[in-house]
Amino acid sequence: MASKTQADNMCGLRASTQPVVRLVRKHHLLVRVSHWLNLLLLAGLIVSGISIYWASPIYQHGPDPQTGNSDYFADAGVWLCAHVPGLHSCASPPDWLYNHFSLGPYMLAPAMRLHWCCAYLFMFNALVYLAGLCLGGEWRSLLPRASDGRGALFMAKHYLGAPFAWLSRRGRVPPRFNSQYNPLQRLAYFSIPVAGFLSVVTGWAIHKPMQLSWVAALLGGFDRARVWHFWLMCLFIAFVVPHVILVFAAGWDTVRSMITGWSSRIGDER
Amino acid sequence: MSPNQNGARLKPAKRSRPEPESHGLSPERSPEIIEVTPQVARRWTRRDFLTLGAGAIVGLGIAASQLPPITLQRLGLKFWPANQGLLNKALGFDDDVAELLYSPNRLVPTYPKSQVTLLKNNYNGATPDPSYIPNWRLTLDGLSSGLAVSLDIRTLLTRFQIHDQITRLVCVEGWSAIAWWSGLKFEDLLQAYPPVSQAKWAFVESLVNLDPNGKPDPYYVSLDLLTARHPQTLLATHYDGQPLTVEHGAPLRLIAPMKLGLKNIKAITRITYVKGEPKDYWAERGYSRYDGI
Repeated sequence: MASKTQADNMCGLRASTQPVVRLVRKHHLLVRVSHWLNLLLLAGLIVSGISIYWASPIYQHGPDPQTGNSDYFADAGVWLCAHVPGLHSCASPPDWLYNHFSLGPYMLAPAMRLHWCCAYLFMFNALVYLAGLCLGGEWRSLLPRASDGRGALFMAKHYLGAPFAWLSRRGRVPPRFNSQYNPLQRLAYFSIPVAGFLSVVTGWAIHKPMQLSWVAALLGGFDRARVWHFWLMCLFIAFVVPHVILVFAAGWDTVRSMITGWSSRIGDER
Repeated sequence: MSPNQNGARLKPAKRSRPEPESHGLSPERSPEIIEVTPQVARRWTRRDFLTLGAGAIVGLGIAASQLPPITLQRLGLKFWPANQGLLNKALGFDDDVAELLYSPNRLVPTYPKSQVTLLKNNYNGATPDPSYIPNWRLTLDGLSSGLAVSLDIRTLLTRFQIHDQITRLVCVEGWSAIAWWSGLKFEDLLQAYPPVSQAKWAFVESLVNLDPNGKPDPYYVSLDLLTARHPQTLLATHYDGQPLTVEHGAPLRLIAPMKLGLKNIKAITRITYVKGEPKDYWAERGYSRYDGI
């Protein structure tokens, strides 16, 4: 890679009449590979996880006298099919959520196979990611700093204000930071791998509650570990939505940098 | 080569908060800058986008092939070749990991009586009619004596020491219950009636199990003798201080808390010791074979 870069670089310099673009390295190849692989693995984990959840929902109430449902997810499906236009003809309202966001109800065995497969690949992918962070030196950009709390709040305010500024056609100068990430990004991109680590730990606590009983005990017991594992999944879903919106809002360069590894924004690094 | 030295860095806008000069423990390195012609940049971009696109097609293709046929049908991929090879490998790998994690000396957590919880009857089919109980006998086969042995519950209760144990039963579905069991140690039965010397497995059967329609549906599990010999593996005769009821597998059931609940077979009628791994009811239905937790 390096020698090729050099050669291309020389070509660029030799053609002195041609304009030159200056690029800055952002993401190591392994970071990019693990990022896109994660997309697939997290989708597999969430889809199969919701099918596993179906077999014994954490959040249940006493059985409904009319439908016999005791699962809040089933209630949500019933409500959606009753109130959302176009869903009235849904065949099995209590299964609506499971039919659309998981492998479906009664799929525990295939869901577990898929979940284990993705989980082992997810753990392997974490090592790929860490190796990429170390080789590319990107870990330095992710470590939180003392001022990040205030900086993150400031950025959150900026982002939340952005749609209104756009609507009122007020030009706004985005805040600049002399670092690869702004404080809110740094906080998010540092927390998400930590959450990934915690979901692996809670996963093992549920998966091997006897041989690894100390892990479950650390998390407050087997049942609590299941609740942690569930909410960590929710955290990933909650992260992905603003992540995708903000990356596209930040511009083409940001999307491209996770594919090519480099950015043409120099000094304006976001 | 830092952007600062090249003067490329733009001055902070008015509303921005400048970073503190000190970056603490990990000063961010000045990024590496490359200069190329726009054509080269475009070529790299094209190459990397095509690589990602190809990777996405391969990845999604593999992923789709691993989905269960019913899910594929729902997605409209009727003729997509379903091939669960990768998933079956993952299931086998996970069983190997479980076997590696198992230690015959590691005891599972036990609980005080105050922490006992409700245990529901999770018979897969209909609960059997209790009429089998008075004539119930346990048959042992695959013994070193070469003879089959038939025992009634009174013999089991008088010949063997009865142990109390309050452990958690974890169901594959995700729920669990802490229950107070009493019974004989499987190990003691193995001592009294030793299996053939090469035996590595116990094939444990219940002929009284029913399917949801009430038709006979014999249940059977494979149990490795390493787990059977664990000091907390019981052949339980009592639940909550009372003789087992039909819901909990009267008169004798397996309690192996280091296995998923589905291995903890109720109303055992026959134990056969064998050399090779025997069949297992739920393994035949897509679940794991070892089920170690």
